[in-house]
Amino acid sequence: MKRLLKFDYYEPASLEDAVRILAAADGGASVLAGGTDLVVDMKTGRLQPSTVVNLKGIPKLAGIDAADDATRIGALTRVTEVELSELVQSRHPALAQAASILASPPVRGLATIGGNVGRASPASDLGPALIVHDARVAIIGTEGAREELVEKLYVAPGVTSLAQSDIITHFTLPLQPPGFGSAYVKLGKRGSGTDIALAGVAASVLADGDGEIVDCRIALASLGPTPFRAVGTETLLRSKRATQALLATAAENASHEAMPIDDMRASAFYREKLARVLTDRALRGALASAGVEVAA
Amino acid sequence: MTGYVGNRIPRVDSAAKVTGAAIYGVDVALAGMLHGAVLRSPYPRARIVSIDTSAAAAAPGVQTVVTGRDFSLLFGGVIKDQSILAIDEVRYAGEPVVAVSATTEHEAQEALSLIRVEYEELPAVLDMRAALANDAPLVHPDLHTYNRRPGDYIVPHTNINTIYRHERGDVEAGFARSDYVFEGEYTAHALSHAALEVHVAIAQYDSVTGGYTVWVSSERPFILRDQLAPGLGVEPSRIRMIAAEVGGTFGGKGIPIAEAIAAGLARHSGGRPVRVEFTREEDLVASQTRVPAILKLKTGINRDGFMVARSAEVLWDSGAYTAYTVDVSIRGAQTIIGPYRIPNLSLLSRQVYTNKPVTGSFRGFGTTQVTWACETHMDEITTEMGLDPVAFRLQNGYEEGDPYINGQILHGINLTDTIKRAATEIGWGSVERKPAPHLRRGKGIAAMIKPSKTPSSANVVINLGQDGRAAVVCAAPEIGAGQRTVIAQIAADSIGIRIEDVSVPDADTAITPYNSPVASSRTTYHMGNAVLEAGTKVQAELVALAGRYLEVDPDELEVRDGGIFDLDGEHQITVKGLLSKYSKEGYWITASARYSSAGSPLLKADPGEEWISSIFWMLCTHAAEVEVDVETGVIRVVKIAAAADVGKAINPLTVEQQIEGGVVMGVSNALFESFSYRDGRVENGNFADYKLATIHDIPEIVPIIVESVHDEAPFGAKGVGEPANAATPPAIGNAIFDAVGIRIRDLPITPEKVLEALEEKAAADVSKLKPPL
Amino acid sequence: MMITVKLTVNGKLRQVHVEPRLTLLEVLREELLLTGTKEGCGVGECGTCVVLHDGEPVTSCLVLAGDADGAEIETIEGLAEDGELTAVQRAFVKTGALQCGFCTPAMVLTTTALFRKNDQPAIEDVKNALGGVLCRCGVYPKLLEAVTEIKGANP
Repeated sequence: MKRLLKFDYYEPASLEDAVRILAAADGGASVLAGGTDLVVDMKTGRLQPSTVVNLKGIPKLAGIDAADDATRIGALTRVTEVELSELVQSRHPALAQAASILASPPVRGLATIGGNVGRASPASDLGPALIVHDARVAIIGTEGAREELVEKLYVAPGVTSLAQSDIITHFTLPLQPPGFGSAYVKLGKRGSGTDIALAGVAASVLADGDGEIVDCRIALASLGPTPFRAVGTETLLRSKRATQALLATAAENASHEAMPIDDMRASAFYREKLARVLTDRALRGALASAGVEVAA
Repeated sequence: MTGYVGNRIPRVDSAAKVTGAAIYGVDVALAGMLHGAVLRSPYPRARIVSIDTSAAAAAPGVQTVVTGRDFSLLFGGVIKDQSILAIDEVRYAGEPVVAVSATTEHEAQEALSLIRVEYEELPAVLDMRAALANDAPLVHPDLHTYNRRPGDYIVPHTNINTIYRHERGDVEAGFARSDYVFEGEYTAHALSHAALEVHVAIAQYDSVTGGYTVWVSSERPFILRDQLAPGLGVEPSRIRMIAAEVGGTFGGKGIPIAEAIAAGLARHSGGRPVRVEFTREEDLVASQTRVPAILKLKTGINRDGFMVARSAEVLWDSGAYTAYTVDVSIRGAQTIIGPYRIPNLSLLSRQVYTNKPVTGSFRGFGTTQVTWACETHMDEITTEMGLDPVAFRLQNGYEEGDPYINGQILHGINLTDTIKRAATEIGWGSVERKPAPHLRRGKGIAAMIKPSKTPSSANVVINLGQDGRAAVVCAAPEIGAGQRTVIAQIAADSIGIRIEDVSVPDADTAITPYNSPVASSRTTYHMGNAVLEAGTKVQAELVALAGRYLEVDPDELEVRDGGIFDLDGEHQITVKGLLSKYSKEGYWITASARYSSAGSPLLKADPGEEWISSIFWMLCTHAAEVEVDVETGVIRVVKIAAAADVGKAINPLTVEQQIEGGVVMGVSNALFESFSYRDGRVENGNFADYKLATIHDIPEIVPIIVESVHDEAPFGAKGVGEPANAATPPAIGNAIFDAVGIRIRDLPITPEKVLEALEEKAAADVSKLKPPL
Repeated sequence: MMITVKLTVNGKLRQVHVEPRLTLLEVLREELLLTGTKEGCGVGECGTCVVLHDGEPVTSCLVLAGDADGAEIETIEGLAEDGELTAVQRAFVKTGALQCGFCTPAMVLTTTALFRKNDQPAIEDVKNALGGVLCRCGVYPKLLEAVTEIKGANP
């Protein structure tokens, strides 16, 4: 059995204490949320923190709250809870879908939304889904609290703009007007859903009563160094009616915006193909959820 | 004799397994036990310049640190080419170089980081074709000096550790006579056994006797003992192997792996037991894998659809050490002929060393690789000739009384019904081609033949105690295939007692009599025969005793359900009651029996070729329906009808489990599993990237039990476990061709390969349509 | 550094004094000697180490000891009472939903949790629930039979 190296362990009761411990730690400090990435990284040697700060004793970091204009999801909310939340399913379908195919049930029961985003894996399922919902991430650190768009958080594979002492506290997803829909689709090695994404695409659309796409977002997983938006494809779709031809053009365009690499899981060649197919499928899913029929 | 045999009997050890009470190899713990950890080579080939273990030896909790210098002896299966820890040179990335024992596993693992090894990297042989080149570096320059099984199967001063040829008829004349000749090349990849219980062993050394006791998780305690002994420089009888429950093996736990490290550490750990448990990464990278192979086939057919000639050339990659692979490459290659009558044959099989992880026996013992090639090739033949794959197989398939490739007369086989019933169940001849715009469906079929290790023997002792309960003492570890249950069924019926009163204790080489491995699907047949004979002897003694007690002619008594009955069916006394009458005499019935296939008239063959004969032959046919997503290349296996000729099912429930489990493994092997190497190192040594099938990925599986009549088999039962996975991959591949017209010849069948082939095909189809310029 | 972890295991309050680097799996197997819970991969990919944590299946290899403090844990040893198998266990035995048995504790616990929530789960619910536990012996078809058997016993 692979054993963990020693570390100092803290369970602070407040965010202030947590930030202080993290800031003071030498030799690398890690925040423990669900542990499903952190413990794996520690076992494989990717991370060897000398300090682990467990956030579980801090109140109000978990849970999903509905406000009139937004949904607030605490950083320690388990992925299972996101998956099964009727509120998330109805307001933010792409996020519920992403949560439902992230790893396996016994892992989802531990993993948290904050941990998944904070890990900054290029293959993150929740990241693209949050991005297409214009989600903002709330952070607390030595300088106090701040907020930014989730998409701005990602810097490089495994790297965020967070400092060692920064803690993600929650996410805010604005409530969308009628005519909004979203979806997330991915393909893993077994083709059956829950594997690490070889490629994944989240899409959201806002359509008017005539089926014209007023606004849209497309965000890609495992198709670049971080989850990122296919901005050119979004531009291409805006102010157009959803037709088969438009979707084909958009899917083709997204595959050019993708920046896939060759690795042991898939070739760049295959990922580019998937970018096209999955963009098409994600857009169809988003349009369906917005109640828009794709015209011939 | 009726009762348990032939019925769906729930496993006798089920309760222990659903309550967590069963003790597996990983659960064994001894007082004072130390824990081991292994430092492994990061390079596929390098000279060890120096090793500095001083800091590790001084680290907290560390008991001992050993290197290759502490173990100069070599061990192995057929060729003794391996040492416990690398001596002077490492031959694959992952090879053990230094081992540490410490009070805790944490301390042992931490001490590894304090060891300094200086390597000088050497050019490595990472490709089996490259290994054949004249100027290829030699993985084992001293191959010709190693102790090994006699015979001229090696080619000294090359990387070829096994060369084997087989000829029958006149293959060139056969091709000349053929109306059509087909050629194809196929590859089969390395696969991890991936038993969920990793490799583990606890060893203790007795410095007074110089002996070892090793607690193991293995299907072959005696083979392990015999193979490890030369590496430790002791007689095999000086090693006692005690087997616990086995959390899966699939052929992977039969050679010294964790056992060698544990015993090596124990030798230098002051008499304390040392436990070595591999991490999953070690298990994937540095235990053993299926032998990868490149297989070339050429087949001649006449216009009536009869197979006239076949030549085959197989190249196998043993990796850095041979383990069991000499026999895998020979036995596997023989069955590349498939279950078909082909009068003219020429077979060349070569196996090379490379600087890759060790390969070895894997469920099917070489037949999974050759079945992939043979059955994909068969489908290419029928496609080109416009023949029906089912009819073609029936036309050419072996029937009872046909001569095998060595002239052995095939006995107790029923290939025909496996083909017919699999085809019927899959709905051969009709398919819903396009269930959705992006989906295409197709059907495919594949058959196979598998021998069982021959000759081999099984010994058993049955002890019937005064409480009327019997212990069946034999070295046939329960590896998950139901060995214990089948043995208990046969024992209960042959003695005439209830199955609840039969126990089958774990194997212990100091107690249980010799048995060949629980491998090659041989246990039901061989141990079954031995248990049947021993149980019958116990019953005879019981009847004699009852006659004495009841003062009647023993011929007028019978034993069943734990009771003694007269010929009118009147109950006279219970077995327990009878034995209790003689408790003062210490009455205890013991009977032993031995079954060996050696010398059976069934093995008669052409002069000098009897060694190729098998005491029984297993046949099976799988038919698959698949669905191809033409946009992503993803394959969904919709259904597999899997028909196996098992002779007679002693327990239909366990037979179904074997067939279904084999299909699941076959689907997983064909579609998901593969190793990814970078510079000779496995880079996916974890289950995140070495993917096994889950419950999401399995098709509807219909197990079909086909029976045949075998004269020497216990109740007619042959074997089923090994053939169960081999026919699935080619059945899937052939179904994919039927669905979308692409032929994947190299495993695994990944979505990426499928999509690429679809694009190539589309391009070719377009160019065909273009008018000539 | 050592921490004290109090947890309820199979209905009994247990307290262990351990290094924080131990996982729940190590606490169960090595501190509490409940070896029915097995490790298969150590990184949450195989599900062999599943236990019920406040009723939910989780991979115990990824739970740090401190995170288990205050938790209610059920392991395979806690299901049968006085040797009386539960309906789920009996169905596994009867339908042959086990071979080598190494994944069986995780499969039994996951199935148990599933049926506590819904005594007539749909096939997709079953696959979703059990999709996180690997079985190399391939008992999946028999697992589905076991589930059918349990559903039949819960009309």
